[in-house]
Amino acid sequence: MSEPEPVAPAAAPVGHEPRRLSPMTPLVRGGIYLVALVATTWDDLLAGRLGPIALTLIAVLAAGMVAGYASWLRTKYWIEDDELRIDTGVISHQSRRIRVDRLQGIDIVQPFLARLFGLAELKMDTAGGSREGSLAFLPLAEAHQVRESLLARRDAVRRAAPAGTEPPVPGALPAAQRGWQPPDHDIAALDLRTLVLSSLLSLGTIAAVAGAALLGVAFAFQGMAVVAPMVPVVVGFVLVQLRRLSGYHGFTVSQTSAGLQVRRGLFERTTQTITLARVQGVVVSEPLLWRRLGWAKLDVSVAGYGGGAEAEGGPSATTVMPVAPRAVVLELARHLLRGRPTLPVDDEQGSLQVDPDAVPLTSPPRRARWLDPVGRRFLAAGMGADLVVSRGGWLVRRTHAVRHARVQSLRIRQGPVQRRLGLADLVLDSPPGPVSVRLQHRTQAETRELLEAAVVLGRKARLAALEG
Amino acid sequence: MDDLFAPPGTPWRRVSPALGRVRRIVLAGVVGGLAVAVLLLGWLGPLPGLVTWPVLGLLVLVLVGGWVFVGRSVARWGYAERDEDLYITHGAWVRRLVVVPYGRMQYVDVHAGPLDRAFGVATVRLHTASPATSAHVPGLPADEAARLRDRLTSLGEAQAAGL
Repeated sequence: MSEPEPVAPAAAPVGHEPRRLSPMTPLVRGGIYLVALVATTWDDLLAGRLGPIALTLIAVLAAGMVAGYASWLRTKYWIEDDELRIDTGVISHQSRRIRVDRLQGIDIVQPFLARLFGLAELKMDTAGGSREGSLAFLPLAEAHQVRESLLARRDAVRRAAPAGTEPPVPGALPAAQRGWQPPDHDIAALDLRTLVLSSLLSLGTIAAVAGAALLGVAFAFQGMAVVAPMVPVVVGFVLVQLRRLSGYHGFTVSQTSAGLQVRRGLFERTTQTITLARVQGVVVSEPLLWRRLGWAKLDVSVAGYGGGAEAEGGPSATTVMPVAPRAVVLELARHLLRGRPTLPVDDEQGSLQVDPDAVPLTSPPRRARWLDPVGRRFLAAGMGADLVVSRGGWLVRRTHAVRHARVQSLRIRQGPVQRRLGLADLVLDSPPGPVSVRLQHRTQAETRELLEAAVVLGRKARLAALEG
Repeated sequence: MDDLFAPPGTPWRRVSPALGRVRRIVLAGVVGGLAVAVLLLGWLGPLPGLVTWPVLGLLVLVLVGGWVFVGRSVARWGYAERDEDLYITHGAWVRRLVVVPYGRMQYVDVHAGPLDRAFGVATVRLHTASPATSAHVPGLPADEAARLRDRLTSLGEAQAAGL
């Protein structure tokens, strides 16, 4: 399915008159139960009779449909006084109001069933961080339209607010640039071949192959008794890989006026917008087997997104590029760190040094091997005028980078052994997310110097951000 | 002493020695409670005397060690208010130094438990957008805690930098 739909001419522009969601909504929401009904009573249905289970389910389903339809009838949304209002509730009334100027980003999500019907859900992301508002479901074209008009309205409201009275909410661009809108265009896309190959080259796959070989040997000697308990592990692994493939299928990053837009997913299509001003830092990960191919993965910490753990192999909201050549990943990283849309060939951009590769990295002194005999070789860190970068890890080499302007607090930590060796760690705190910059096992004098330098640079950067 | 934890221009302000008293009371309470439990078990039977006495000896060691450690740890707490950031240092075993720019503060807490109140001390805790910040100063006399909180709040508002 291709994304940018032509705007439906029939639909009136989203405005002040209340509108309903798609009439298919109850069907899509209840669809899963319909599937359950058919699946559980398949035998009965084939035999042409309805058992007690089927009858109960049909009753529940019918009640659900009536409730869903009533709910659809009472759900309306419209824009009034620069607020998006959503009225819901059959028995008790609810009216939710979302201030347009508080909107950070609007994501468009298409679960599988909704996709079959050409519907989509709008998820509103506000400054509080939690996803507070959602409109489900709208026809895809209408969803895009509502999204565009809400974002346009937000920008208009923010522009109208006189400078100074504006809340210090991130996302606002410096006054001079607000009028300028970068054109929407794709920056990077992930092809299926690279995605599949990267999955095959992951450490998990290697472990699985080794495990399978062991299983084969065990099977040859011991028979099924040993192998059977391992089957769920193997199945689980395959499922994790499939989830990764379907989640990241058709991964596209494009540049829009609201920020970087990430689209991904085979069954459930997700459109997510990353507001550049809320980006806290980036992580470039290079697993051992990808390094030969020059591939890397890019994750980002965004204020309010939280951890976004990829523990179950599922796609994570913090991933901006699951796998790509290192040059592409770094280009994206620079774009994210810059924190504002690229201006058409302009001054000023040059003054901000946001290339993680341009920051000279140094290793901790040799005596750090007493603390971390294996890891020490892979530790490196450095500080530039705008960036602090730390790197570590052998199996997966991770390069963390934050701008001085984004550092929340700084910490020095020195354990008893480190004290003996005259070493210490410097940690730069960021809001929750994958990024964590730690300059480990540096000499005492260097650590304190780096801390003072970072404090001064951070102050300058914050001042510049406030004035800019 | 050591450069790594040297004060940032202005000298460290130390916390009230009352904090040491509070912590030693807690320590003595816990160790004393455990000792009573061990004695009771020995007296009622389930614990043989061969075990009771070494355990009690161990508890005495813990008490003495903890007593000394509390003294050192309290002496190492220090904070320094600068124009744009707060420096905090602490830790006898693992030593730490935290710098929080006022502009990064989200809010400030003052906390005092019943025992703290009995000794007239309180803990001031700073929160930034990062939960890892862990910047707090325990053992502040109540009026100093209130002063610090008010000062931090007003400076935080004046220098707020958003996220």
